[in-house]
Amino acid sequence: MVLADLGKRINNAVNSALSNTEDDYATTVDVLLKTLVTALLEADVNIKLVSNLRNNLKETLMGNKGTGKSTSNAQTKKLIQKAVFDELCNLVDCESEQPFQPKKRKTNVIMFVGLQGSGKTTSCTKLAVYYSRRGFKVGLVCADTFRAGAFDQLKQNAIKAHIPFYGSYTETDPVKVAAEGIAKFKKEKFEVIIVDTSGRHHQEQALFQEMVEISNVVKPNQTIMVLDASIGQAAEQQSKAFKESADFGAILLTKMDGHAKGGGAISAVAATNTPIIFIGTGEHIHDLEKFSPKSFISKLLGIGDIESLLEQ
Amino acid sequence: AFGFLKKHVLGNKTITEQDLNSILEQMKQQLITKNVAPEAAAFLMDQVSKDLVGSKTAGWTSVEITAREALTKALTQVLTPGVSVDLLHEIQKKAEEKQPYVFSIVGVNGVGKSTNLSKLAFWLLQNNFKVLIVACDTFRSGAIEQLRVHVENLAQLTDESHIRGSKNKRGKSGNDHVELFEAGYGGSDLVTKIAKQAIKYAKDQDFDVVLMDTAGRRHNDATLMSPLKSFAEQANPDKIIMVGEALVGTDSVQQAKNFNNAFGKARDIDFFIVSKCDTVGQMLGTMVNMVYATDIPILFVGVGQTYTDLRTLSVNWAVNILMS
Ligand SMILES: Nc1nc2c(ncn2[C@@H]2O[C@H](COP(=O)(O)OP(=O)(O)OP(=O)(O)O)[C@@H](O)[C@H]2O)c(=O)[nH]1
Ligand SMILES: Nc1nc2c(ncn2[C@@H]2O[C@H](COP(=O)(O)OP(=O)(O)OP(=O)(O)O)[C@@H](O)[C@H]2O)c(=O)[nH]1
Ligand SMILES: [Mg+2]
Ligand SMILES: [Mg+2]
Repeated sequence: MVLADLGKRINNAVNSALSNTEDDYATTVDVLLKTLVTALLEADVNIKLVSNLRNNLKETLMGNKGTGKSTSNAQTKKLIQKAVFDELCNLVDCESEQPFQPKKRKTNVIMFVGLQGSGKTTSCTKLAVYYSRRGFKVGLVCADTFRAGAFDQLKQNAIKAHIPFYGSYTETDPVKVAAEGIAKFKKEKFEVIIVDTSGRHHQEQALFQEMVEISNVVKPNQTIMVLDASIGQAAEQQSKAFKESADFGAILLTKMDGHAKGGGAISAVAATNTPIIFIGTGEHIHDLEKFSPKSFISKLLGIGDIESLLEQ
Repeated sequence: AFGFLKKHVLGNKTITEQDLNSILEQMKQQLITKNVAPEAAAFLMDQVSKDLVGSKTAGWTSVEITAREALTKALTQVLTPGVSVDLLHEIQKKAEEKQPYVFSIVGVNGVGKSTNLSKLAFWLLQNNFKVLIVACDTFRSGAIEQLRVHVENLAQLTDESHIRGSKNKRGKSGNDHVELFEAGYGGSDLVTKIAKQAIKYAKDQDFDVVLMDTAGRRHNDATLMSPLKSFAEQANPDKIIMVGEALVGTDSVQQAKNFNNAFGKARDIDFFIVSKCDTVGQMLGTMVNMVYATDIPILFVGVGQTYTDLRTLSVNWAVNILMS
């Protein structure tokens, strides 16, 4: 899970720092910040973000004069937890407004973009199943004409999931296939049309140009960038470039069942101001979960009751 | 990027730990921006420190420059393989004994196993070997069809008259040089069965090389990892190659360790292929992480999505990028 053991580490750090009555408040804060920085870096969070977060936290925590000996440990702990919570929330963009919701009896086009092998094709079907179970009429379009076996992969997934699909074995232009697929499903009054595209990276301009062209004919209501939870420091650069060209409105984080902590993806969120809305937790079609940053972070910090914390 | 290494042209100074502290910290941060895992970066700093504390800087050389040189050395040491292997020669030797040389390719999901297996096939075909590609990924949708497309492409590249979709004289996808061995989709029992059948088939049909693709799997899931051991015992490949992607961050350390341990005490991974190096710019840290974690050498790096995008690793090139 994203920063799975981070919550534990922070809590341990807070507890052990506070239990050491020899130390003054400043030392407590110092120890805590050190632990936090180490944990975040080990979780692949972008190094600049970590250093910003550290400075902000230090300012907040040290700015609270009068805390220390006079207040109880429990109060200090709450104060620290709240400060950490706020900073982590900033990182994963808790503030963003209501995410995209497809509307019934309308055509809603969703386009998937992302790096090679991130999990686009797999996640496309998962999302199709997700909306299909919620009563939408959903179709899948394979606009990946590059990757060997891409159409077969989507087709086999779609058949397993009983989702209608469109693609071509012979057409090599993804823009054309995308346009045809959209036209077909629109005519048949499909409500959610999900378009899968090839993997690409910003170093290859032609690939980005192609993505823009597909987007221009598909006219997506929502573009989703699919990110692998294990991505490292390259997350920031790549996601920024995708944001500039494809202007995606949401991130779907895959392979969260793995061992990676997802800090790279969090850096992508921060770099693009775009929220994570779903996470992939396995290779099967039902392994998709809605993601809510706020409750996620409160869980990871082991805070049962955020509201009481926020009222402080 | 190492601009903080200001030059103090003094030289001949005995280096203390204190002199090094802030320099090491800054070098470590730089390595982390290049996607070197904090753990691997700390190891490298240790090497530099061991190398330098108590020694004297050369004339006209600052501590910073000396430390930089030591880091270059440490990185070079990590990335330089201990033993060099002439694979083509080994394959040739086995071919003369009428034994196919067997590779299996393993790794986590989506890193580029199948694609880089196809690049390997292209390289082997160019060296005039006959290659049997085996579809041991019987799990992921489209995995077999993906390999079939590659076999068709490779058949066309080695024989212009090859018509796509046509079968060779044995009634299989491919031609005389490259062929696909597959037996459909199914569970892990099927995988071992296919592997054994394929090797026998390759021997009977005079293939020089067998390349086995396997399904991507999470390195933290024992139920997915444990079949690897029996697979390797049954198929007994000459070389096990793990593909790791340059995009992965700190998890690369654990990925490499867990895959290496998956085959039991008696068997290690033989090589890495580090794929998607074209997607990370200067952030080549994954290479360092994987080799640091296991001491297993990098056979090739993947630098793109076509058959020719497979290179031997130039250690100098990588170290220069990591140090820049
Ligand atoms: N464990 C796990 N594996 C996943 C998840 N999502 C996708 N995968 C696997 O990741 C691999 C790559 O997934 P794809 O859907 O083919 O990725 P893609 O982005 O479409 O790849 P390209 O089209 O080649 O760029 C496959 O083996 C999937 O089964 C996930 O949430 N968990
Ligand atoms: N840019 C770039 N892309 C690569 C490279 N190697 C592989 N890819 C791409 O990565 C994606 C995934 O490759 P695959 O070969 O299907 O990966 P895999 O490990 O076999 O995936 P699974 O079998 O699903 O686990 C494809 O889109 C490939 O084109 C590389 O060196 N550079
Ligand atoms: Mg795909
Ligand atoms: Mg594969």
